Amino acid sequence: MRRVLHVARREFLSTVLTKGFIIGILLTPCLVAAIVLLMPALLSEAAPPIEGEVLVSDPTGLVYPGVRNYLGPAALAEKRAEILDDAAEVMPSRVPGLVSEVAVQSLLGEVPKLEVILEDGDVAAAKLSLLAVSGPLAIAVIPDDAVHGAQGSYQLFVREKLDDRLERELHSAIRDAIVDARIEARGLDRDELDALTRVPYRRSTTVTEEGERETFLFLNTLLPVVFMALVLMSVLVSGQYLMTTTIEEKQSRVVEMLLAAVSPMELMTGKILGQLGVGFLVLFLYSGAGLVGLVAFSLTGAIDIGLVVYTLISYLIAYFVIASLMAAIGASVNELREAQTLMTPLAVVIMVPWVLWLPITRNPDSMLSVVTSFLPPVNTFAMLLRMTSTSPPPFWQVAVSLSIGVASVYAAFWFAAKIFRIGLLMHGTPPNLRTLIRWARMA
Amino acid sequence: MSDAIVLENVTKTFGSTVAVSGLNLSVPVGGLYGFIGPNGAGKTSTIRLMMSILFPDDGRVSVLGENSALDAKDRIGYLPEERGLYRKMKVGAFLVYMGRLKGVDETVIRDRVRQWLEKVGLGDCETKRCEELSKGMQQKVQFVAAVLHEPDLLILDEPFSGLDPVNMRLVRDLVLEQHARGATILFSTHVMPQAEQICEHIVMIHQGEKVLDESLDAVRSRFDPRTVLIEPLDPLYPLNLDDDADTRGLEQSAGVEDVHRTDRGYAISLAAGADVSETMRAIVAVCPPRHLELQRPTLEDVFLALVGEVPE
Repeated sequence: MRRVLHVARREFLSTVLTKGFIIGILLTPCLVAAIVLLMPALLSEAAPPIEGEVLVSDPTGLVYPGVRNYLGPAALAEKRAEILDDAAEVMPSRVPGLVSEVAVQSLLGEVPKLEVILEDGDVAAAKLSLLAVSGPLAIAVIPDDAVHGAQGSYQLFVREKLDDRLERELHSAIRDAIVDARIEARGLDRDELDALTRVPYRRSTTVTEEGERETFLFLNTLLPVVFMALVLMSVLVSGQYLMTTTIEEKQSRVVEMLLAAVSPMELMTGKILGQLGVGFLVLFLYSGAGLVGLVAFSLTGAIDIGLVVYTLISYLIAYFVIASLMAAIGASVNELREAQTLMTPLAVVIMVPWVLWLPITRNPDSMLSVVTSFLPPVNTFAMLLRMTSTSPPPFWQVAVSLSIGVASVYAAFWFAAKIFRIGLLMHGTPPNLRTLIRWARMA
Repeated sequence: MSDAIVLENVTKTFGSTVAVSGLNLSVPVGGLYGFIGPNGAGKTSTIRLMMSILFPDDGRVSVLGENSALDAKDRIGYLPEERGLYRKMKVGAFLVYMGRLKGVDETVIRDRVRQWLEKVGLGDCETKRCEELSKGMQQKVQFVAAVLHEPDLLILDEPFSGLDPVNMRLVRDLVLEQHARGATILFSTHVMPQAEQICEHIVMIHQGEKVLDESLDAVRSRFDPRTVLIEPLDPLYPLNLDDDADTRGLEQSAGVEDVHRTDRGYAISLAAGADVSETMRAIVAVCPPRHLELQRPTLEDVFLALVGEVPE
């Protein structure tokens, strides 16, 4: 065990103290955070203010005034305030300022300065004016029956490369103006209708054994994916490092020097444990950052401790299976390029949880969900998704899935140990999958 | 004297290739054994079997009284033929790591690393990265890694390959120093003169089978010297080197079977049953020598005599 721990220590330190690791793992979240923080400022600076004319061809004469009104600076600003309110309603109440005015303005750009002009002339000629540099931004054509009769729609002609945010605001203004005209034509009261049709949104309340708490709408959907992404990313990072360091040891011929001091099994175990430390560090750094965010917004209630424990167990199972196979691949090839062929089946397996995410989350009790939650090596991920779904599985299924996971760890370790022992001393033509299986049988 | 290494009827095959075939071998504690044979004879495979890096298909291996070298790794020093270093690791850190794996006490490990680096002339390389060292320097670091823990058994697979003559002599002296300390040494090489310079006992292997297992003295006495080298005193003798008549005097001497030219004189093969002393006297009478030598059989000669092939 002493030797295993020495190997693990060296493996851990030689990985985390490299520039590649520090830049790739530690600086990446910092960069992402910096970009997120700077994004509003960058966006607000980036979008140039929009100015120009909007022509409205309105034979009825009933819609144009409304369009002009809705595209005025005051009306546009008011519309944005409504968007802000709607967004804030669906966010948890403990996240003040998450949907800020600055954020909305960054998203939509500065309020455009538009001059709305009634077009009396030929629409075809007006459309041609869209091609001119100094021409209008858009032409709205309101048909005769837009307000009366069959209640037809409208046409909007725009110049090439018009800002899509402005286009949406034009549509909104025209639709609102047509509705206003229709209501007025029928002698109805717009304010009264608005009051009758509007039901303010109220967040639901989740009743738990500990008491009532606010329902975390988006967190409920995102958390399982976040957990799964953390586990997969951590496993992949450390597994990839494990394979790379094994190939390097074989390439530099230091491996037989090591085998003079440790057995192949001790070497493999030490390396896997060392990279487990690397994986935990990655997991800790990334989930720690997420946890700080949740604590800052008082959202820790969204995290189920049982789920965290299960995630850790599933992480260990997934790590030992994938790391064992990565170690075996690393030991059996001569250089990183040769490992790609053997990595392909493993990469496909690792992608399966992403493919299964939505089908399992939406139908947690389907045949697909149940079968995959017992099928290694994706069973722990599938079970994780089911556990966070609307219909959690019974406890016995969780227990069986974990048992299968532990058994798959044993099988992967057994297989990898045999490949590792033979592969380390093999040079020359890289083996294919059939050769690896033959090695496992003969070792 | 008990045995440090025992191989009993050991066989190892790789697919259809028989690497080691029914090999029996005993290396006594304190022995200095040369394990020689041409390339591909099965030396490295046998050593890997001893080190439990490979396992035999048949037979039994015992090292330092254990049935597996895995149980005695801390008492074995091994310098493999396929050897390397962690390129980015510092020399001192690498040796400390290897020492730790070999169970060297933490309180002495750093001092011992420094002492060894001084001893092999790498005192200023402790903080250098391994990749900064020349190949010869790297080999000395690898040698230090093998002996740092003062092993009871030292197995060296081609320890001199790639070394210049100065470093070759240094490593040879260090090997002899380890032997004088009491370590059992098994030294593998395909360069037979190297084994002749160091070893007390020779084990020769060919195509996976042992063809010789004797002390060097016994080998020399068993394979009688049958060649006399002579450098004539008179630099003009013979006057015409192409003239067979000039060597006739030597060929007709009693006990001489054949005479061949060499760079400086002649190599004279003795006839079967000839008395060496009388034949040499007869040769001296015909051709007064500047230098006369009864040539010892080299291990290459012995190998040729045993297997009838030229080693690669």
